[in-house]
Amino acid sequence: MTTVDGLAHGLAVALQPSVLIYSLLGAVLGTLVGVLPGIGAMAAITLLLPITYYISSEAALVMLAAVYYGAQYGGAVASILLRLPGTPQSAVTTLDGYPMAQQGRAGVALFTAMISSFAGSMLGIVILVLLAGWLSGLATSFGAADYAAMMVMGLVAASTIGEGRLAKSLAMVVLGVILGCVGTDVNSGAQRFTFGQVQLIDGINLVALAMGLFGLAEIIGNIRKAERDGPPARVSLRELVPTRDDLRRMVAPITRGTALGGFFGALPGTGSTISSFLSYALERRVARQPERFGKGAIEGVAGPEAANNSASITAFVPTLTLGIPGDPIMALMLGALVIHGIQPGPMMLEANPDMFWGLVVSFGIGNLFLLVLNLPLIGIWVSMLRIPFRWLYPAIIIFVCLGVYSVRGSTFDIVMVAAIGAIGYALTQAAFSPALLLLGFVLGPLIETNLRRALLVSRGDPMIFLERPIACGFVIATFALLIYGFVKRSDQGSQASSVAD
Amino acid sequence: MICCQTRRGAAVAAFLTGCALSSAAMAQDWPAGPVHVFVGFPAGSSPDTIARIVAEPLAEALGQPVVVENRPGAGGVIAVQQMLARGDDSFGININGPLTTAQRLIPDLGYDPVADIAPVGLIATSPLVLAVGADFPADDLAGFIEAAAEPEAISYGSVGEGSGAHLTAELFANAAGVQLFHIPFQSYAEVTTSILGGEIDSGFMAPSAALPQVEAGTMKMLGVTSAEPFAQVPDVPVIAGTAGLPENFRAELWNAFIAPAGTDPAVIERLNAELNTILADEEVRERLLAMGWQAQPGTPDDLAQRIRDDTALWGGVIDTVQAAE
Amino acid sequence: MRRDLYDLGWGAALAVTGFTVAGYAWASYDMGSLRRMGPGFFPVTLGLLLAGLGALIAIPAMSRPGRFRPFAWPETITVVTALLVFGLALDRLGILLTTALTVLIASSVAPRGGLGWRLVLSAAVTALVWVVFLRGLNMSLPVWPGAPR
Repeated sequence: MTTVDGLAHGLAVALQPSVLIYSLLGAVLGTLVGVLPGIGAMAAITLLLPITYYISSEAALVMLAAVYYGAQYGGAVASILLRLPGTPQSAVTTLDGYPMAQQGRAGVALFTAMISSFAGSMLGIVILVLLAGWLSGLATSFGAADYAAMMVMGLVAASTIGEGRLAKSLAMVVLGVILGCVGTDVNSGAQRFTFGQVQLIDGINLVALAMGLFGLAEIIGNIRKAERDGPPARVSLRELVPTRDDLRRMVAPITRGTALGGFFGALPGTGSTISSFLSYALERRVARQPERFGKGAIEGVAGPEAANNSASITAFVPTLTLGIPGDPIMALMLGALVIHGIQPGPMMLEANPDMFWGLVVSFGIGNLFLLVLNLPLIGIWVSMLRIPFRWLYPAIIIFVCLGVYSVRGSTFDIVMVAAIGAIGYALTQAAFSPALLLLGFVLGPLIETNLRRALLVSRGDPMIFLERPIACGFVIATFALLIYGFVKRSDQGSQASSVAD
Repeated sequence: MICCQTRRGAAVAAFLTGCALSSAAMAQDWPAGPVHVFVGFPAGSSPDTIARIVAEPLAEALGQPVVVENRPGAGGVIAVQQMLARGDDSFGININGPLTTAQRLIPDLGYDPVADIAPVGLIATSPLVLAVGADFPADDLAGFIEAAAEPEAISYGSVGEGSGAHLTAELFANAAGVQLFHIPFQSYAEVTTSILGGEIDSGFMAPSAALPQVEAGTMKMLGVTSAEPFAQVPDVPVIAGTAGLPENFRAELWNAFIAPAGTDPAVIERLNAELNTILADEEVRERLLAMGWQAQPGTPDDLAQRIRDDTALWGGVIDTVQAAE
Repeated sequence: MRRDLYDLGWGAALAVTGFTVAGYAWASYDMGSLRRMGPGFFPVTLGLLLAGLGALIAIPAMSRPGRFRPFAWPETITVVTALLVFGLALDRLGILLTTALTVLIASSVAPRGGLGWRLVLSAAVTALVWVVFLRGLNMSLPVWPGAPR
């Protein structure tokens, strides 16, 4: 079956009324659930899983995929309006999306996120269709050494996104990696820094960390400030829509973000996190005025949103073509397929072409639904900001608690949020970047396990990092970044200090 | 435990009822409200799917909702703790780990798998298969053992230190008199990727994880750890008795229905009977098998025996592993 | 301010944290070898790295003027207390009472908030939680004190 035949066939599958209805249902539910802080795709999919036993396998998977995208977009809404990210990807979106909302440009920020997500997904589908074969080889050609080197490069590249001194940025990354060490060590089974708490055996809850560092820290700082500033001025419909200049600024970041996401998404694991951080770092680096970033630069929303959506499309490549799920959500979807007697794997394209191509087309349709559904909603979301903060924040606190609780039904995690929130506020006060801490937390354990695994594979020979071409490439890139960073920093540093004085 | 105090009224009523009626009659009235089943893994995982396959007909039989509570964490241990903490009408569907090896691997377990748990019944078992890449030089078990003659020449991936995959591989290595090189991973998906990429040589894997790769010709299965050929992969030879390995070689993972110790024996009996009826259903058996699990009806005593046997078996393997370190 | 007290304080705190982590990991976990790294290797290295970075933050801050940024103590304490109460009360009081109580505590630092307003708010949020989480999402939560979930 050629690609064109496949797509035509897929279109026939995806346009069945029942499939369309479930796709729409998934998109609506995903968005609504995703907006609730901390309750992301995982919770929404769990909620819907029982239904999937009773509907056709195509409809089931299409619905779950739509929930997945919907929740991702919903998460961006909460991040932009209230600085409440539930995932590391949406944490990147807060960096410039939230300042935009603070400046009364919430509508534009939401519009940007929506359009970039849509473009990222659609271009991601094109990448998927054209390069599925090549991308599926990517997963197996990456070994432990390559992953370790790639993630170190990711950390180094991203540590430039913090404002101010490099030492402060690096300290946050290292602190994040240390927090990531809490829990069972994969390689030895030893329990580190758990202090006898069984609740800590699986480590610190990611949602609790993200909510505490961003959401709670923001609430604490904002209670008095919001009252002083008053609610944002009422905006007219025209101001919700980006200007021509905004649109022009979005094009290049979306293109670059999509490419990054498309590549990294095909690697099982953290493709989506690493690509959104890298996209942000890249936009900042190529920008003519990098100092605008962190203060509401539209490129800082467009690039990462395109990247993580394109990554979540290509993340289906290893899941469907190798039967290797990259993250818990993909594993869930794989489970849904298996329940229907479909075994994803290298044979899937031959054995179940309906399923494969139907899914590809449905991704597109699901994203179209999302766009149509959400553009009119932007106005409603923005008007939410007009609710005085003193009415809003107690409710947010409750929603954060329940969002964190929903992850694994643990009240211990709520207590953790309290502590992390206080620390997060103090860190923000002292101009440390919580986003870098989060990135370190996510990538740290992966770096450690892959580094140690690589040395096991090579039986203790560190040359493995230079002998494998992919790893070697990343090692060289990392050093290049470091040298470039220091040169540029000292250059800027001398300028900045002369200006500051 | 404030929750217990506030439930005192209900508890007193239940006590009085219990005095008036015989225990067996009470089990007929039981349950009065929803029954909670604590599962140690997230929604969509195989223990969760097994729990849901069982919960649906169970709810019908009991005439009360059966709520599956996912409490993932610490390899199923958190769910056992939460079941014990919640008390009345809480049960668990869990894997072998928290009941057989957890007390050796987690220092502050918070419960005693024998004293604090009342077995209800085994649900299903799954063997592991020894899988290698398609270009591995040997095609059978004897060839594999020969290739592994030199210590640590052959590496294998597991899903973590102390996991079933790790302990099974060590059990196998002991029985075969070879030394394999252990590289821990976090999931069968990672092990598969690594075997396909040629980073590691082999792994003891869930049959359903290896099967698609075998069908695509990218992997080979050399042996299965069950006592008899496994229905999902009928052509794979059993390891027991092959290539000079002992006849009694057997390593299986399982899922079981458990209750807190002190649960009314009549309730356990009722649950066990319902469970066995469910597991006798052909459709249920097929759904389990499609996921790589063999339904295993039995008595609570069978499960207790299984827990004892496996605790001793894996305890011995853990001793050898720890002695080697 | 003559010194940047924020960076000074945080640099010192991070350095102490780093040394503590490294020391604890060194004492508690096996370092292993290059071939089979132990669980202690990473934390010890990271702890020392953090200590070094802490020093790099603190030392330049000694001779650099800093800007005073007010720290919202009452808000911090109140929000943390509210969360702790939520976490500790949920299993005992059930979600509805816990929500009402948490909102009452959290709203105590709200500007222009009288007791009447706070009671209205807490009733409204409790109703919202009931609609969204219990009715809408059908989340498994203890509803009333001691009630089965």
